[in-house]
Amino acid sequence: MIEYDEKERRLVLKLVYYGPALSGKTTNLLQLHEQLTRQGRGELMVLDTSGDRTIYFDLLPFFLTAPSGLRIKVKAYTVPGQVCHDATRKAVLQRADGVAFIADSHPGEAESNFASFDNLEQNLSLVGLDIDAVPLVVQFNKRDLPEAIAEQEIRNSWGPTGIPVTMASALNGPGVIETFSTLAGLVYDRIDARLRLEATHGLSRGEFVGQLSCLRDDGSEGEP
Amino acid sequence: MTAGDGLSYLVGEERSLRELLLDSEVLPLLKGVVAAGAGSARLVSEEGEVLWIAGGPAGGASLLAELPILLEGERLARLLISGEEARLKEIAPCAELLRVALNAVLRNNLKRMLTTEIHTTVVNSSHQELVEMNRELSMSEARYRELAGNLELRVKERGAELRRAHAHILQQEKMAAIGQLAAGVAHEINNPLGFITSNLHTMQKYVSRFCVMLQFYRNLNPGLPAEARAEGDRKWQELKLPQVMADVGDLMSESLSGAERVSRIVADLKGFSHLDDAGEMPVDLNEELERTLTVLSHALSGRVKIVRELQELPSITCQPQLPGQIFLNLIQNALTHAGVTPTITLGSMFDGKRIRISIADNGPGVPQALRGQIFEPFFTTLPVGSGTGMGLAVVYEAVLKLGGALAVADAPAGGADFIITIPTGKDQPDVQVLGTF
Repeated sequence: MIEYDEKERRLVLKLVYYGPALSGKTTNLLQLHEQLTRQGRGELMVLDTSGDRTIYFDLLPFFLTAPSGLRIKVKAYTVPGQVCHDATRKAVLQRADGVAFIADSHPGEAESNFASFDNLEQNLSLVGLDIDAVPLVVQFNKRDLPEAIAEQEIRNSWGPTGIPVTMASALNGPGVIETFSTLAGLVYDRIDARLRLEATHGLSRGEFVGQLSCLRDDGSEGEP
Repeated sequence: MTAGDGLSYLVGEERSLRELLLDSEVLPLLKGVVAAGAGSARLVSEEGEVLWIAGGPAGGASLLAELPILLEGERLARLLISGEEARLKEIAPCAELLRVALNAVLRNNLKRMLTTEIHTTVVNSSHQELVEMNRELSMSEARYRELAGNLELRVKERGAELRRAHAHILQQEKMAAIGQLAAGVAHEINNPLGFITSNLHTMQKYVSRFCVMLQFYRNLNPGLPAEARAEGDRKWQELKLPQVMADVGDLMSESLSGAERVSRIVADLKGFSHLDDAGEMPVDLNEELERTLTVLSHALSGRVKIVRELQELPSITCQPQLPGQIFLNLIQNALTHAGVTPTITLGSMFDGKRIRISIADNGPGVPQALRGQIFEPFFTTLPVGSGTGMGLAVVYEAVLKLGGALAVADAPAGGADFIITIPTGKDQPDVQVLGTF
């Protein structure tokens, strides 16, 4: 779980983008990398792929410093969605501090969504995490598809669970930042309760989420 | 954060520059800048520690460039290049080039390391899963082996049980068949025996009348002419009538008593088989003993000495064929094992609560080691074919049915003494105590 070293004044957080195959987990990270300011964000690291499919994971790191000097690293990972890479999913899921579940809005993928969520619950418990305790956001991606499941239908079925649900079209951008900042907020709530980020380190929820999801000023900075 | 803090991810663990970069990767780059004209090139950590250095000490020369080295967005070190200020223009682009090169090496190394880590982790966990699967399969195999082993044992047990039950039924059927035969024979003999006895009685009467008449004529003899008298005497002697007259009475009474004995044997046979009786009835065990002796009389008569030490017993209520089965088998057993001059001692007594019957022989007795086995079905000390091994088992079963107990002890004069203890209905608690035998 939260990797915190008081002596070194360092905190490392792990966010995991989970979901069925081809639901757009890597696209989410690519979009974040695209849209967020370079300040405090590391490079997107895409590990070996096979025919453009993730076989290990992708990693987008963030770095920020609290007013107290606490150095915080946030690492956003994707897992491979294909069923055969379950061992990799389990390895990446270890000690996750938050999970974004990227579901596919295509009606034909409903079953894969369900199977993958089931797999998430099972793997979380295998690595010693409780799905009810881990900060979790569900994103319904591919809202741009004409046949996408109606939003109302999604809200109706997910509303009772109390899990925040966001709508996104990762390929074009909408919803990606919202999903990320919602998850960041939930993770903040969780660690603030334990590490008193605001009281001890002077880092408010707004600042934390704001710094992580600070949009790039158009054209102000290029890639190195 | 360095490794070994105890806080670590399995995958994506935080790395220091020292872990990510090799001397052979960094030093040639730094030396390149020095070769290009810089005085020294250093890579200094955020904490101020010099990680790598090329060229002479920085003393005296001015700092020409200070560039950050980033890892995952975090500034981990600074690249410091010193030299003569005049060379700033040439050195600055070199420094930027060096920074880009170092960052590229750093990223590639991190990526390679992450790939290796995740790959190793996945391979390890797959291996562990296989090991675990193997362990579970082995366990399940062991379980099935055990089941299979037990199954064989169970089959053997059941087989033995079946054989016992089968032999038992055979024995019971044998007893029933003997009983039926005896009853049938008894019935058939009874009819002719009836008129034989009756005729014998009548004939006895008639013969005595003949004798009276003969004597009457004989008494007239002295009054006859001498010739006729001599003829009569001669005839009387020739026909041996004096002996006949003396014998005929005995012959008749002996025949009658013989017929009576036959009729008694027949009655005992019928009684022994108890075919006519259904359900339970009061039975006097002494009577049953005597009856069994009668049935066995062919085997006993003349050859075997029977000692009776019988006391009066209260009757018990039971299926009437059970005591017969018990006594027949025990006496046969005693006969088989008795000594050269066979003696069988039958004892019965009643202590107010229990009836105790003992049947003892003067044979070699039952060795202590065999006493636990002799009541088991098929156990026999006789040569194959001579004994079924069922006799004592049937006795044991029958005694249990009477609510009694069966034990074997040494007879006072040596030999085996089978002791049957049967509670009378009057004192129920004893039934339970004895039933635990």
